[in-house]
Order: sequence, then C-alpha cells, then structure tokens
Amino acid sequence: MLRRCSWFAAALVAALGGALAAQGGRPLRVDGVRELSFGTVLPGIPRQVLRTDPVASGEFQIRGEKFNPVELTFALPTLMTGPAGASMPVLFGGNDAGYSVTQSIASQVGFDPSQPFQSQLDKDGRASVFLGGTANPMASQRSGSYSGTVTLTVAYLP
Amino acid sequence: MKTAFRSSVVALALLLLSTVMVAAQSNAASIQATAVVQQPINVTGARDLGFGNVFPGINKAIPVTDPNSGRWDVVGQANANVQLTFTLPATLSDGANTMPIASYDAHHNTSNSPSGGTNFTPSGAPTSAALSGTGALWVFIGATVSPATNQAAGSYTGSLSMTVVYF
Repeated sequence: MLRRCSWFAAALVAALGGALAAQGGRPLRVDGVRELSFGTVLPGIPRQVLRTDPVASGEFQIRGEKFNPVELTFALPTLMTGPAGASMPVLFGGNDAGYSVTQSIASQVGFDPSQPFQSQLDKDGRASVFLGGTANPMASQRSGSYSGTVTLTVAYLP
Repeated sequence: MKTAFRSSVVALALLLLSTVMVAAQSNAASIQATAVVQQPINVTGARDLGFGNVFPGINKAIPVTDPNSGRWDVVGQANANVQLTFTLPATLSDGANTMPIASYDAHHNTSNSPSGGTNFTPSGAPTSAALSGTGALWVFIGATVSPATNQAAGSYTGSLSMTVVYF
C-alpha cells in the first residue's frame, strides 16, 4: 500500500514537473488597463479612435513567461448599447489592434483584431495590446451614453 | 500486475494535472468601449426677412434689430460649439424680374434678442458660435434691397439658408 502511494506521488511530481516545463513556469495574466473611449460623438458623424491614441485607445497588459509564444483572440462587440435600448454600430478594421513587446504605444505591430494573432512575450515576460475602432452613430442616433464590452483572451502556444 | 498498476497511476496523475495546465495557459480580460452621443441639431426658420413696400430707385435696409429681420432658431446639445454657414441670394425674383439684395448682416445670441450677442457678416465661410446652457441659439439677419428706378411692380422673393454643424 505504502509502495503504491509512493508510486502515485512520484507520478504526480513527474507530471507536474513536465507540466511546468511545458508552460514555462509563470502563469499567464491579462489585465485591461484602459477603456476604448470614443468620447463625444455627433449624430451622423463617425468617430474614429486610432490604436496609437495615447488617451482614447483601449489597452491590455500581458504578463507571463519570458519569450513564450502566445496567441491573442478578441471578442469584439458590433453594437454599443445606450439609453432606452438604443444601439450604435461600432466597427473594428484590419489594422485597429497593435501588439507591443516594449509596452510602448509608439512601437506596435498592427493586426486585425477580428483574427487570432500570434507573437511572443519579451525578455521580461511582458507585452501590451492596443485597440482602436470607429463608432458609427446614425443621423437620428438617440443622445446619451453608450457602451460595449471588449474581451481579450491570451493563451500560451506550445 | 505491478506494471499495469504503475501505468494506471501515471495516467491518472497526468489526467489530474491536465486541468491545471489548461487553467494556467490562458487568461482573459475585458475593457469597455464607450461613447456619449450629443443631441442632434435642429434648425427652424422662425421669421422671414420682410422688406415690406419698397419704391423704385430707393434702397431699403432692414437691420438685424428690426422686427422684420429674419430669424432662425437653433436647438442642440447644451454648450456645444457650432459653425454657421449661409447660402444667400444676390437678387430677389418675381418671375423674370429681379431686384438686387446685398449688405447682409447678422447677429447670433444665446437669448432671443437681436442685441447683446455677436454681430457678424453671414457668408459661406463658417462663423463659430456656442449654444446656450440649454442648447439654444438665435440667429438674426438683415440686408438691403436696391430696386432700380424702373423696377417692375410685383412681389419679389428669395431663399436664405443657414446650415449649423457641430465642430
């Protein structure tokens, strides 16, 4: 019995060590640090925010194992919801997301946020992701505050 | 027997660890996308620019302060900055007969009064203004008609347009 328990423990430790070696050791963490803010929008006039906008663009920060390859996947809204059930279209173009291993908004690689994107973390296990987009109010858009949820999922690649 | 048991144990351990591996290999976070839509602008032609009776060869001016000056009423987002542009005729018409109109002047005010606001020369070039704290603006317009000495009698009209946009 004791010998069987020892075997189980040894197997568990071996598997755990293998798992840690496979995933690089440090758990992956993603934080949303700034919302994508279109600010004041005028009825009938589209409002674009560039991913390089240091105030209005959305930003996520990633921390994990250094040099580990990662895959980024966005879940993007097509509408922002507002007062009394009103909705306003929001668009994300093929160059509206940016990946920066230096975590600098001035140094990013643009990518399409509607498609999975692969890259790797830097020597410190960090990276930043920036997001722009375009709000498209109708000429008859109801006035008021609108919002939508953007979710970024990051996964280690083997 | 022992080999089979050990293999089973290893397999079980790996299965247990796989759930831990999946949880540590991915993560997700959310942010909000936000916007604030302003009130749409509504412009109403509230009063015609009325010269009344004019006499051949005698110019007649209607200043903005005259009760017969033209007026537009604007409603939009409180305190918003707007730009005013105008399309103004050079003549008034009665069929084939025309009469010159010129020397336009205008006045915008956040209260319904042709004085106490800002005088300006209306044209196709934008004039900046700001809506009141309740989102209102009044715009008054005057001009001068110059009937010829042989101006044909009749009722002469023309269309004056003002466009207001946020900026």
